[in-house]
Amino acid sequence: MLILNLITQEWKKSYRAQGFYKNLAVSIMLGFFALYMAGIFLFLGFSLNEILEKANNKLNPMELFNGAMLYLMLFGLAIRFFMQQLNTFDLPPYQVLPIKRSLLINFLLLKPLTNPVNYFLLLVVVPFSIKSVIGYYSALVALRFVLSFIFMVWFNSLMASFLKRKFGSGLLTSILIFVILVGIFELEYLKIFSLFNLSKTIYNFYVLTPLGLVIPFLGVGAAFALNKWFFSQNYYPENFNRKIKGDKTVTANLSFLNRFGIIGELISLEIKLILRHKRTKSILYMSGFFLLYGLIFYTQKAYTNSNGMLFFVAMFMTGLLMLMFGQWLISWDSSHFDSLMTQNIPIRTYLNANYYLMIAFNIICFVLTTPYFFFGMRIVYIHLAAFIFNVGVNVYLLMYLATYNTRRIDLSKSSAMNYQGTTFKSFLIVVPIMLLPMLIVGTISTFFSPAAALWTLTLLGITGILFRKQLISICVNQFNRRKYKLAEGFREGE
Amino acid sequence: MIQVTDLQKAYNGVTVLNIPALTISKGESFGLVGNNGAGKTTFFRLILDLIEPTTGEVKIDDQCVMRNDAWKTSTGSFLDEGFLIDFLTPEEYFGFVGKLHHKSEGDIAVFLDAMKDFFNDEILGSKKLIRDLSKGNQKKIGIAAALIGDPNILILDEPFTALDPSSQIRLKRFLTDLQTRFNMTMLISSHDLNHITEVCKRIVVLEKGKMVKDLNTDSDTLKELEAYFAV
Repeated sequence: MLILNLITQEWKKSYRAQGFYKNLAVSIMLGFFALYMAGIFLFLGFSLNEILEKANNKLNPMELFNGAMLYLMLFGLAIRFFMQQLNTFDLPPYQVLPIKRSLLINFLLLKPLTNPVNYFLLLVVVPFSIKSVIGYYSALVALRFVLSFIFMVWFNSLMASFLKRKFGSGLLTSILIFVILVGIFELEYLKIFSLFNLSKTIYNFYVLTPLGLVIPFLGVGAAFALNKWFFSQNYYPENFNRKIKGDKTVTANLSFLNRFGIIGELISLEIKLILRHKRTKSILYMSGFFLLYGLIFYTQKAYTNSNGMLFFVAMFMTGLLMLMFGQWLISWDSSHFDSLMTQNIPIRTYLNANYYLMIAFNIICFVLTTPYFFFGMRIVYIHLAAFIFNVGVNVYLLMYLATYNTRRIDLSKSSAMNYQGTTFKSFLIVVPIMLLPMLIVGTISTFFSPAAALWTLTLLGITGILFRKQLISICVNQFNRRKYKLAEGFREGE
Repeated sequence: MIQVTDLQKAYNGVTVLNIPALTISKGESFGLVGNNGAGKTTFFRLILDLIEPTTGEVKIDDQCVMRNDAWKTSTGSFLDEGFLIDFLTPEEYFGFVGKLHHKSEGDIAVFLDAMKDFFNDEILGSKKLIRDLSKGNQKKIGIAAALIGDPNILILDEPFTALDPSSQIRLKRFLTDLQTRFNMTMLISSHDLNHITEVCKRIVVLEKGKMVKDLNTDSDTLKELEAYFAV
């Protein structure tokens, strides 16, 4: 069987990749995380019936769930659009072999459907349908309910890959999707148009009529056909890869940085690096969403009571870009590390450039989070302390610890859920940088006062800023010690 | 100019390079030949302080290169694509490297103009990023960037491979020209015995990490090398 061959070859590709065994620690951590999530989902699945029964007494739980179905679909589509990686099965080596092209395309399209991540939500849906739908209706309806959900997953997966191939995932499309989602919410909220009612009618029909399921199944077929059509239009990989590559050459005018000499040159280099790689760009977009974190935490009583937790959130937001990109400090230069090491760049200048870039990130994030000041003076103090602590302590910690991350990072590969180049050390860095200050604030504000806690961290931060030269010297020495290990690690491919 | 003393590099107890003593004087054109795994690139990486020697040291202008920044001002090098910054356009890259050597925009423009023949109109002005260019053009960019800072020492690893025949001939002429006009010290490795004997006045053969021949190029050198490598 040819298709079986293709599947085994894909499988070999993943476990023969050099990173596979090295990254075992990370895989195990992710595995635990997945188990934890699975547990939560199962629990939710078994308790959803009671939750929905309490939430509304006019509609039964399944009707409520069906009402949410189109929302799930739209959100699923949006999330997939941002997160789902296109299945980049290398066509060229197979294209020259005597294999039918349509088989390759079918394989390319249908393989993502076998990814277990797609079916994670079934952990909620199946227990719910057993407990609730069977109770209210019958086993047959429950089966149809589950099937209608699976069809939605298929439709979404195929549709997302079509949209992504066709339109690319640029900033403009992302904004458009965001606007559409907010718009639908708004319409529902203002009671102008209710997607909920529409969804309820449609999905009740699917589930309760004997042949209703034919319609969503046809939808899946249509999405599949759209994909096939796309590939028939774009026969050659260079055509459909072009869309994905998009317009890379963002010739941003960064000439204002020229004034700052070599440091300015290096900073503008890093900015270009961020703007011209998929992975860094998507992190930049995601950071925008993370800035909204405060809206969740600052409005909840449960969190505002805990100073440690609040400080954690404040530090996360005011240092967002630094934390996001700082974990890649140095290693994001891995592909051209030899170049930087042999060019006329003193190591101190190189680290100084990284330092100033991180400081700039912190200032940007601090300014962007100033709207949270409306939540009261307490937030103002916490943000200020967090900012000063980030600038005065965490910057150096990141620069020092970054020298231990010797894995080459491939920035050209997309985007979210990409753990390439992530090592166990990346997780360990979080401990001193995020958890330690949180602990300090928690303890001091319990035994003394919140003000004392904030002052402690602020003073630590100010000390760090004052001893900038000495602290950077420590980082320079550390860098020189680790230089060969870094260069060697970066030269090793995946 | 370059002094090597007691230089050894071992990986897991296996010695891959062992050079007890070697001096390369100013203006010398030093060619390095040897089969794969002979230690050519390792030697260059040691000179450029990209790997740590197990024992011994390399000195450039009487300064040890290890963990030192001083030699970087006077040395231009291109070993492989890792020496390029591939998400820049060629112009941006030349601008970046030029600025590092404190060149003005005008200086860089003059330099690029002199490179026009070598580039053969394929590199400048296309707005393409370096990563989207062919291997040959990437190599040209790397070689040119190594020269932008008017280095005293030029280190190139297999500069002729991946270049088209015309570019190979141009490069040879160009390198000879740099020797005669600026008395530039050159370290070049190559698998092409013809090219290397044409460009270099001194040729060292490496085998399994050891220097087995040290020749001054004359009319018989090519024959001698061909006889040595014949199987």
